[in-house]
Amino acid sequence: MAEALSPLHHTITPGRYGVAGDVGITLGTRQIAGLWQIAGWQGFDRAAAPVLAAMGLHDGGSYRRAEQAGAVTAWRIAPDKILIEGAPDLSAHSSDDLVTLDLGHARTAITLGGAAARDLLMQLCAVDCSAAAFAPGAFIQTGIHHVGVLIHCTGPDSFDILVPGTWAETIWEALHHNALPHGYEVSADNNSRISRTNPT
Amino acid sequence: MIRIDCPVCGLRDETEFTYGADASVTRPAMEDTGMQHWVDYVFNRDNPRGWHREYWHHVQGCRQWLVLERNTLTHQIGTCHLARDADLAVKEAAK
Repeated sequence: MAEALSPLHHTITPGRYGVAGDVGITLGTRQIAGLWQIAGWQGFDRAAAPVLAAMGLHDGGSYRRAEQAGAVTAWRIAPDKILIEGAPDLSAHSSDDLVTLDLGHARTAITLGGAAARDLLMQLCAVDCSAAAFAPGAFIQTGIHHVGVLIHCTGPDSFDILVPGTWAETIWEALHHNALPHGYEVSADNNSRISRTNPT
Repeated sequence: MIRIDCPVCGLRDETEFTYGADASVTRPAMEDTGMQHWVDYVFNRDNPRGWHREYWHHVQGCRQWLVLERNTLTHQIGTCHLARDADLAVKEAAK
């Protein structure tokens, strides 16, 4: 079976880039495992409840805050739409009231961290990413370089950026150019493989 | 800069949105055979100076269609609802 690789597997080169001095930013990528979208219409919450409960989730979080249950993360990205990472194969849950869609092949996760990470985000998107406005656990959907992305704050100065796979290189280049004045590092332990098999 | 308070994402810059269409027009009933009604619906639009009801798409956000009020003179933004809730919101406001 062919091994699926991240669109960034030949773009990311570990090393130190930009101005000399302290490293303000770290960039990388990570594996996405079991990324599914569930969507529906009127009555979505009722239809989604047993699916969420089976993964230990309560209600899929809010429009601004992700819900975490062990290795499973849920983002409520629209009124009748929830994105879930770490999900098992959900295809069996499809019904007239609920649509499940495997997006594991369609997104790339870029990791961003460091003391200047919030400054970098605010250079690239028109949203307040200060610590007071964008706390760990929160997420935003916005645009970077006119590409729709989901940014999840995973720690005080660390973020996951879920980008469409076909635009991953474009976003990476935008991050690269804007990170140079801060000085940034790409670590050698990046995992640029895509997991298309769902965790059991 | 126009800022729009998206019901899903919160207050965002206009650059994340795309204008869709005039939300004040109503399609004639399908059995309506009056030619002028259909010409008005398809082609003719008012160009008001003041408040205007419009469809906008939060294309770089939640990707939801919105119905909002925009003042064409001042660019102030008034109420903003998800398009699917907009009719309900209008009925509620009229009570």
